Amino acid sequence: MNAPLSSFSKSSLASLILLIGSVSWALLGAGLQVLATLQLLVPSLAYLLPIPWIAYGHLAPLTTFLFTYGWITSGFLGVLLILIPRISGIPFRYGKLLTSAALLWQIAVLIGVAEIIWNGATGLTSLPFSRSVTCLFLASFLVLGTGLTRGLGRSWKSGPLLPRLYLLAALLALPLGLGTAEILLRGGLAPGALQIIAQLVWHSFLHHLWLTPLALVLLFQLLPTLTGRPVGSLSLGLLAWGATIGLGGWIGMSLASEGPVPSWLQSAGVVATILLAVAVWGNGTLLKPLLDGKIEECRRQVALRFLAVSLWSYFVSYAWLAFLAIPGIRQATTFTVVAQATQSLLLFSFYGNALAGAIYALLPASRTVGWPRHPALTIHFWFSTLGIASVASCYGIAGILQGLALNDPGVPMSTIASYLRPFLSVVLLGQIAWWIGQLAFSTLFFATLLKLFESVAPVAIFPLPRDESPSSLNPAHH
Amino acid sequence: MKSTQALVLVFLALLFAWAGQIALGFFQVGKLEPILNEETNYTVPPVPSGLAQTGSRVFAAQGCLECHSLSVRGPTGSADIARGWGPRRTVPRDYLFREPAWIGSSRIGPDLSNIGIRLPDANELMMHIWNPRLKKASSTCPPHPWLFDLKVSGPIIEKEALPVPSKDWKQILPTYQAKALVAYLQSLHSDYSLPEAPLK
Repeated sequence: MNAPLSSFSKSSLASLILLIGSVSWALLGAGLQVLATLQLLVPSLAYLLPIPWIAYGHLAPLTTFLFTYGWITSGFLGVLLILIPRISGIPFRYGKLLTSAALLWQIAVLIGVAEIIWNGATGLTSLPFSRSVTCLFLASFLVLGTGLTRGLGRSWKSGPLLPRLYLLAALLALPLGLGTAEILLRGGLAPGALQIIAQLVWHSFLHHLWLTPLALVLLFQLLPTLTGRPVGSLSLGLLAWGATIGLGGWIGMSLASEGPVPSWLQSAGVVATILLAVAVWGNGTLLKPLLDGKIEECRRQVALRFLAVSLWSYFVSYAWLAFLAIPGIRQATTFTVVAQATQSLLLFSFYGNALAGAIYALLPASRTVGWPRHPALTIHFWFSTLGIASVASCYGIAGILQGLALNDPGVPMSTIASYLRPFLSVVLLGQIAWWIGQLAFSTLFFATLLKLFESVAPVAIFPLPRDESPSSLNPAHH
Repeated sequence: MKSTQALVLVFLALLFAWAGQIALGFFQVGKLEPILNEETNYTVPPVPSGLAQTGSRVFAAQGCLECHSLSVRGPTGSADIARGWGPRRTVPRDYLFREPAWIGSSRIGPDLSNIGIRLPDANELMMHIWNPRLKKASSTCPPHPWLFDLKVSGPIIEKEALPVPSKDWKQILPTYQAKALVAYLQSLHSDYSLPEAPLK
């Protein structure tokens, strides 16, 4: 509470490294993603330019890796390093250690990228890199996660509870999930079909127990602050939190249909996915009223705009997952491009918009800068939103059609590929639009850091530099 | 809620998810044993050769899993068997010796669980990896020429050379990686009967 401004600067270099890494990896990933989709749309390109490291088989896992570990995870850790010490009033110690850990995370991503480009991916779900990269990630996380956990301590009784609970769950889920997946899958402890179960469990942990809780930390912390409204019912929030943490790890099993996964596990995955709607409904009941009648403020505050889209994407993503888990639909859509639709909704729309909103809201607090009133802000929002909407909807419709066609033995595979082509064209345009949005954002981000623009419209939520009372971030329930 | 209570709750929830799936999964599919086929006196599923196991890593590294699945579903609710992708549905025991094991996520191309039955000839598989459009002009599968060496033709054509002309009349010779990949693809077949999934 009483920490001076200078004490927060110990973590600011670490957060800056993580955010610069996040923005850069997103830009690179967006470009490579366009190249990958172009090859899927025009297969002849692979015949004209047969280069292994830009082949679709290399680029597809590479972009997923870049977005998951480079863009979103790095960015989330970066904004949390700004947020947590300020809301808890406990500044981080050992600034150099945090900076080294942030650098280590970027080095791990870089090595992962180099490995996938040159050697190809491992084929393991959500674990496309080697054991050495896992070790680097875990070593970096040990320092960053310990720092964040320390920030949870003193404010436990005084601050808003829900963001802390989600953060606690996420901080435990990542090392547990990644560590056990590594040991089981590469330590020879999981024989045969158990490897596939372990991959699906890790996939669930990564998305639904690590990234989703972190996005919810940002929504539960920043939406009340930006709208000036408290979150309503703590009991409902706790119920939703319990459901998210209890069921999130089981969702991956609904991705399997027959094959190596025992049927009871698949059924458990389906039930968990549908029951998770309870958590989403609970959180929706708490968070949606914060935005009621706030359209004008959403227009004015770019951070609030992105967070509002992230909140809506949260509902849509989990409703979509519940829809796909319905028996019959699940059988029809397994092994289709609906997986890409789900990925677009979760990664780009839900997590990505929460991250963008958090950067817009929190960077001014960390760097004592304000965002300029610049057309790039509008370009970032509209190109990203329309891009993601077109990618997700086209993949969704294409996947359902693909599933129906795959279940008709009279339709040849080449015909199914031709069904996908018009949708892939729109997906490509959507991905280019998203890339343009990211380009606008990164230009703005770096120009703001270098103070190239006149800061005329700051949207900082901390009234820095004089009054840095962490209580300005605690209007939510107690 | 106290912080210690929250910590215990979170830990129990994560443990429940982890143990519920991995530990119970281990008791169900982690202890499966191969079955002795009394007619042939071999065990099924067959143990793949070392070359095939190396090939599985080439298969993953080339990103084949981005477009091909490795799991045939039963006749109820899917057309996998009707499409000729396998004689029966795939069951956990089929993955017993697959290291690492995977099922893929997409079917831009056909399922490959039984490619070893559908395309048993090593030369045809080699030709497909070199240039899928040699056999089927409309194929959307990309070529993998980097898995082959081009060598100037001498008076003797090497036995392993692909029977296709190349630029400057060079011989197209498969690398170790290409041979391993073909060995892996040939090892993918489930044309044996299992108690839980008999051949009909």
